[in-house]
Amino acid sequence: MLTNAKYNQVANCTAAVVVLLMAIGTVFVFSASADIGRELNLHKFYDYPGLRQILFFPVACLVLFTAAAFDYRKLRLTNGWFKSPLPYLLLVSIALLIIVLVPSVGARINNARRWLRIAAGPFNVSFQPSELAKWVIIAFLAASLDAFGAEIRLFFKRFLPICCVVGLVVGLIVIEDVGTAALISLLAFLMLVIAGARWWHVLSPLPIAVAGFVYVLIHSPARMARISAFLNPEKWADSVGYQANQSLTALGSGGMLGKGLGGGICKYGHLPEDTTDFIFAIIGEELGFVGNAAVILLFILFMWLGILIVVRCRDRFGQLLAGGILLAIGIQAALNIGVVTVVLPTKGIPLPFVSAGGTSMLLSSAAVGILLSIARQTQPKCAEAEFAGEPAEANSARQRILITA
Amino acid sequence: MRIARITACLLVILIMAFLALAGRCFYLQYCKNEFYMDRCLTQQQSRNPLTPRRGTILDNRGRVLAASNGINIIKAEPRIIENPDIVATTLAPIVEMDPHEIRTLIVESRNPGYAKIKVQADANQCTLARKIKGIGVESQWIRHYPLGRLTAHVVGFTSRDNRGLEGLELYYDNQLTGSAAQSIFLADIARRPICLNQAQGVLCDGAGIILTLDATIQQFVRSALIEQFEKYQAASAVAVVAEPKTGAILAMVSLPDFIPLEVGTTDPNNFRSRAITDWYEPGSIIKPIVMAIALDAGVLGRNEKIFCENGSYSGKGFGRIGEYRNGFGYLTPREILIKSSNIGMAKIGQKLGKKKLHDGLKRFGFGAKTGIELPGEVTGLLWPAGKWTGYSETRVPFGQEICVTAMQMVRAFCILANGGRLIQPYLVKAIVNSDGTIEDLKRPPPVGYIVKPEIARWVISDAMAAVVNEGTGKRAKLDKWQVFGKTGTANIAREDGPGYSQDDYIASFVSGAPAEDPQIVVLVSIRKPNKKLGLGYTGGVVASPVAAEIIEKTLTYLEKLRQPAYAARSGRRRSY
Repeated sequence: MLTNAKYNQVANCTAAVVVLLMAIGTVFVFSASADIGRELNLHKFYDYPGLRQILFFPVACLVLFTAAAFDYRKLRLTNGWFKSPLPYLLLVSIALLIIVLVPSVGARINNARRWLRIAAGPFNVSFQPSELAKWVIIAFLAASLDAFGAEIRLFFKRFLPICCVVGLVVGLIVIEDVGTAALISLLAFLMLVIAGARWWHVLSPLPIAVAGFVYVLIHSPARMARISAFLNPEKWADSVGYQANQSLTALGSGGMLGKGLGGGICKYGHLPEDTTDFIFAIIGEELGFVGNAAVILLFILFMWLGILIVVRCRDRFGQLLAGGILLAIGIQAALNIGVVTVVLPTKGIPLPFVSAGGTSMLLSSAAVGILLSIARQTQPKCAEAEFAGEPAEANSARQRILITA
Repeated sequence: MRIARITACLLVILIMAFLALAGRCFYLQYCKNEFYMDRCLTQQQSRNPLTPRRGTILDNRGRVLAASNGINIIKAEPRIIENPDIVATTLAPIVEMDPHEIRTLIVESRNPGYAKIKVQADANQCTLARKIKGIGVESQWIRHYPLGRLTAHVVGFTSRDNRGLEGLELYYDNQLTGSAAQSIFLADIARRPICLNQAQGVLCDGAGIILTLDATIQQFVRSALIEQFEKYQAASAVAVVAEPKTGAILAMVSLPDFIPLEVGTTDPNNFRSRAITDWYEPGSIIKPIVMAIALDAGVLGRNEKIFCENGSYSGKGFGRIGEYRNGFGYLTPREILIKSSNIGMAKIGQKLGKKKLHDGLKRFGFGAKTGIELPGEVTGLLWPAGKWTGYSETRVPFGQEICVTAMQMVRAFCILANGGRLIQPYLVKAIVNSDGTIEDLKRPPPVGYIVKPEIARWVISDAMAAVVNEGTGKRAKLDKWQVFGKTGTANIAREDGPGYSQDDYIASFVSGAPAEDPQIVVLVSIRKPNKKLGLGYTGGVVASPVAAEIIEKTLTYLEKLRQPAYAARSGRRRSY
């Protein structure tokens, strides 16, 4: 069956939403990175997060459409485990996660060793392996759950090995980044539930996981302080609750229409992490509720389009993969906005597409690219009929994708 | 389809979560906007007070008596500084100080959160120092008094925050201060300004004040007075030089004095400008005034002979009055002044009567403030005529039972020297606003004659000149000018009971020159010259030489100024 992908409205809308989000993000990262204490040296533009994001934005768009042209089915494990790139990617991720923990290699930023620094000419590229691991785990889970099919109900043969792989990755990440580790665990849990794993299989490791997290929390005074700061925001306003308070101040002072694009003051050092985790507060300060509502609306739209993609997809792997990608982005966005509005305790989770950060932006757009590829290859029947008559020759070869039904 | 259904459910839950978060945003941004806006402004506003420069005080020839200079202070904010060692070593070469010293300053003031590193840093040092994190530059106005003690009482001094506390600094505090402004900036976390939020007030430097005082004459007066003050170990002394035609005060010295920049360690009593704050019974120096009142009232003829009872005059209702040394027989009014006869004056007082005497003194300005532009002036003491007794009637004419200030005395003699025309003593010639406009002070026009001109002229150029030529004021005689004057040796009332102390006197000499056309009036009063030194204690001995020195130097100086050559030369020199 031949389907022309060009006129898939869902995919186009999704791409538009994501590109719009990235554009908003780039504008606000540029705005938030304003610093009166620093002179601009364009020869070192890569050192400025605002300028770096301007470079990342077109690259991310390119990645998005390149990934969209890639047939996601090549990731499947059903054709044989070593024909898919996924196991190799998984191994690379684990290796990188181990490497980043080596003190002389991993770069320390904000007291956490999460970055790999690679000096490439004038660019000091830093790379976050946990970000890669997150997407690889989602794809790997989707692929393996697709490959196992109903066998996932077998505890020792199927369920446990998957849990072991996820556990290994989460274990490596949790050392330096509890937030991402928790997010990956949550995603894995949800994907297992979606794939139809037995409830008692899924729920039985939960007490262990919870115990593990509580242990980690108790043994890290910084995290305990964050939690208590969340419970009494005013009491800790000057110490651990500082970020949360400043975030509320920035957001709340924006009002309905904001102080005007670029007119915010909190970004001048009053709000820490203004380009990354708290970019949403900067949007709120400068464009007010209107700006925030627009961003939230775009995410809702993205989720809605995602539902259409999942529902229209007729392929188990595609559904699982699309579900995983959508949940990952949606949960991250919700958590981030929750943190900024102080509904949740502070944790380092960026707002997808919007926050500064090349690794996150490029990998997220690659994931969305795959989502587009899923969307494009699952034309509804009516649409197929509608577009079947179109002259295929009018389109370039790149825009045509062959599907064997 | 199961997978799609669960996924869709989860995504719908996420959509709900997003909607809830949007609601939260609405709550924060709409309902609590004001609260966060306030918090935001408290955090981000940085106030930059713009302090106006305090006005300059100049003497009548443009010499600076008080001025404010801007200085830069390099300061550290120890709470921002993470590593004092690095800051200290970076800052040390810039401000040319020892790094250890800087480090100690920073570390020790961690609690107040402010450390002065260097006062009076130059512009270059400031620019360099500003670049270091945690180091700031603050500019301040510092008040200078170049003439120090010399004009301390007149000029006064200011507090550390540049508010006037004494003297002209206090009296003209509002004009000198000018108006401050404040600009409110939105600042980044390091308090660097980002943009102007609002400006409050308009910065306007303080007005300058030009005095009638002449620092040169002031110097003559002070050096002459302090010599005698120290020689006689006196308790205090005042001297005032005024221009009788206008009432302009040319010099005004009170001793003991103080250094304006060391007021913290000075006895506050020394801050008093005694010429206006200390009242005393003037003694014989009031006699010419009473004489003029009596002549003017017509109760006394110029050539009338008054019997002075050979040194002892007593009667019902006024007790016994004695002379200072010897008794006298018949004296003319002129002779009464020359010999300073108390009995003669008492009889004149009786001739005048309480009412006329009281009113006459009142017209001469006793019992009322002179209105000089200095704070703390007292009215003196002149009992209302109704309260006068027979004692008052006979004592007031020779300067008892009446309290005056030196400034009142000067005014009274300026009136006499001015041909009986009323004048108002003043110290401030003009106020010059910071924009250059001159605010000439409107002086009350002369309202008329207090005594007839010929009587005033007779008292000055005949009687008072004779006092200097042949009477008690011989020591004030000068070759070049005819000096007029009157000595006074007043008893000081005992503090522990009724009557007068026999050891404590106020030696005064009121004088002026030249008698035919008075240019200056000089009053010298020295309180409590030490009688035990055996050097004398009377007005003629203690005070008149001082007045003579002042008159000689001042008139020479004024004459020089009037010479066209000198005026042109000094004019050129000051034409910057």
